[in-house]
Amino acid sequence: MKKRLNLTPYWLILPSVIYLALFFAWPMVQALTLSIWDGDARLQLRAEATLRSPVSDWLPRGAPIEVVERRGNTVDPDDLGQSNLRTEVWFYIRGESADGRTVEGWAPEARVRVRETDAAGAPTLGTIRPRIGGSDPLTTVYAEPSVVSDVVGRIESNAVVAIERQTILELWYLVRGERDGAAIEGWAPSRYVQVFGDNVRGRIDRGDAGELTLRYLRSMINDRFFWPALWTTLLLMAIIIPVQFVLAIIMALIIQQQLRGNTFFLYVFAIALGVSELAVGIVWYAIFTQNGYLNSILVSLGWLAAPIPYLTADTRHWIIVAIWLAEIWRATALVMVIVVAGLQAISHEILEAADLFGANLWKRVRYVILPMLKPSLQVALILRTILALQVFAVVIALSGGDVVTVLANEAYRQYYTLRNVNVAAAYAALILLLSMFSAAVYLRMVRSHEEMQE
Amino acid sequence: MAAIRIENVTKKFGNFVAVDNVTLIVEDQEFMVLLGPSGCGKTTLLRAVAGLGMADSGRICIGDRDVTYLPPRKRGISMVFQSYAIFPHMNVYDNIAFGLKMNKFDKAEIDRRVREAAELLHIETMLDRYPSKLSGGQRQRVAVARAIAMKSQVLLMDEPLSNLDALLRLEMRAELKRLLAEIKATTIYVTHDQIEALSMGDRIAVMREGKILQCDHPTVVYDRPATDFVGGFIGNPPMNFLDAQVQRRDGAVEVAIGDFKLRPHPLMEPLLRGYDGKPIVIGIRAENMEALAAPADDALKVRVLVVEPLGAQNLLTVKIGANIVKVSTHPSFEVAPDQELWLRFPADKIRWVDRESGRVLYPELN
Repeated sequence: MKKRLNLTPYWLILPSVIYLALFFAWPMVQALTLSIWDGDARLQLRAEATLRSPVSDWLPRGAPIEVVERRGNTVDPDDLGQSNLRTEVWFYIRGESADGRTVEGWAPEARVRVRETDAAGAPTLGTIRPRIGGSDPLTTVYAEPSVVSDVVGRIESNAVVAIERQTILELWYLVRGERDGAAIEGWAPSRYVQVFGDNVRGRIDRGDAGELTLRYLRSMINDRFFWPALWTTLLLMAIIIPVQFVLAIIMALIIQQQLRGNTFFLYVFAIALGVSELAVGIVWYAIFTQNGYLNSILVSLGWLAAPIPYLTADTRHWIIVAIWLAEIWRATALVMVIVVAGLQAISHEILEAADLFGANLWKRVRYVILPMLKPSLQVALILRTILALQVFAVVIALSGGDVVTVLANEAYRQYYTLRNVNVAAAYAALILLLSMFSAAVYLRMVRSHEEMQE
Repeated sequence: MAAIRIENVTKKFGNFVAVDNVTLIVEDQEFMVLLGPSGCGKTTLLRAVAGLGMADSGRICIGDRDVTYLPPRKRGISMVFQSYAIFPHMNVYDNIAFGLKMNKFDKAEIDRRVREAAELLHIETMLDRYPSKLSGGQRQRVAVARAIAMKSQVLLMDEPLSNLDALLRLEMRAELKRLLAEIKATTIYVTHDQIEALSMGDRIAVMREGKILQCDHPTVVYDRPATDFVGGFIGNPPMNFLDAQVQRRDGAVEVAIGDFKLRPHPLMEPLLRGYDGKPIVIGIRAENMEALAAPADDALKVRVLVVEPLGAQNLLTVKIGANIVKVSTHPSFEVAPDQELWLRFPADKIRWVDRESGRVLYPELN
């Protein structure tokens, strides 16, 4: 019998794959693209004044141009509000031509003076404007609302015409510019082009196609807050995570002892897990501020003559200490919960065997418990590092986000205060990169041996 | 010298008395088996000796040291656990060497002992493997090797064979017995398997509800059980028990099983006189009854219910009064279900059980 592929598991994971793609992968890729993709860097030029025409060339945003020719083209009514967009209106008229025929066709608004409008304000009747000083006094009527379409007929000045309907067209420019020393010419919609007062010269205002760029990354790195934010983030990681792990393992071992009041300990340790990050920051702000709990206690005990202002621009180290304490207080329990779960997975007999064969508590921790906790520690380490890279609210609460700043705070500042989405995305991408890099390092470094796969 | 003296040890879990005032002396280099059904306290007693669960009261001495309140690592013992408890993150070599390393033996000595222990257990070729790549039997060997590499004077084993399949268990049983004879450690071996106990132990301590009912050589425990429980727990099939009535006729003691009258062994007569007119229970092992194809004066007529040919013997199930009795016969003895046959009870093989206390009566004890 031919072995058939069992599709059931694939069907079962399909919803989660769709979920991941839809709500995770796609928005994330979109967001990260912002940091390296300049979405309107190029204006595409076309051979004809229509979107259906193939793209012949492009000019970079900001390039100076010269308008050679103009032409109207249909436009989506929704697009009419765009800046720089220039329009012209065409009327569909019916009247008597110069040679006595009744003609029907399109004429530009500029050639018709509206005489009557209906209740809704739409023009219904008009007269052909006289042409002054022109060589040809007649007004041409076209089959399509375009000067390049077939001519239906020609009407004399001041002739009365019925206006059937009107259409609004976007103006297209035939622009001439230069890229890398080569002259380039092509049609582009007016919305992308800014034309100066002389109606000839202008510049490309924005593009309609993107290109890869390092601009945003460069402006992130050149930002004056970038290096302080990066170093502070790394410093916080380096001083928070090891302490948290030592504390968490000790706490977990205490809980593992199954002492009386065990659950009480667990609850006390875990209280901080239920407090929001910002609230924690505010709590520690209340402790460290000039008239806060810490100073009050020290002064009332007589250990300090006057309150010390800890959280000032001159005492960055105290702010770091406060953040350090707040983060340890807040997130150690998270590591502890993971370690407790890992400890409970170690069989009692294994620990008894270690004890029986001569390992005291320290040696049991060193040679049996820690090695067997590796998978849990790995998970906790990855989780904690990622969270440490995202540390934000505590920093804001304790430093205001200026004196001591971190990467997440810079992403926020770029996005919210400076309205620079792309640089904010660059910061976010950097945080993601650091998270993934550290996770990969941990997975390699603390690799669980083959023996752990039971 | 490392005799183990367990004196009046009691261990409670809440209100449940797991070990009830137990006293047991294991001689130096003796192989003592603690046997009993699950929940009888045998493992608890072993753990008390190991120091893994402190005794609530009493005293435990190993050699001439009182170890009652010492932590396990200071008792000079090694142990094989029921689940083996080998370290999954260490290879076989490191597992066996663990105790030696913890006790700071020098490298050469560790290496020598690990290889020696591995050789004794035939695992010298898998020293660099990890436990996850070993079979159950191999893990078992690693656990034993780790214990014997310590060369402790006391070796404790907690149902070491219970996780193995039947064939492997049979093989390991013999091997363990040989090994333990070789290393000459004082051993306490916990099991619920009476065959293991009979085949391996120098002495067997049968436990029930936290108490030791009998502690003696396997043959004695088998042949002369102290109580009906011991008789019923040890042996396959277990000892048969028959309800009977003690009577007096012409001055002599007679025991009636239904209409059948049995003459007790002369030595038992003085004892049984006290039971005149009272019910008593007769205990007899399947192989001690003599099955006859033809009627005899001193044989009881029974009807065969089931015949189970077991190869070396035929096991018959018969009904005597309200009691189901198993009789073992030679395979050459031809018998079919529903057939009648006659059973003879050799007087010296009958054990007399006091109905109330369950104690087996022996003349020399009274």
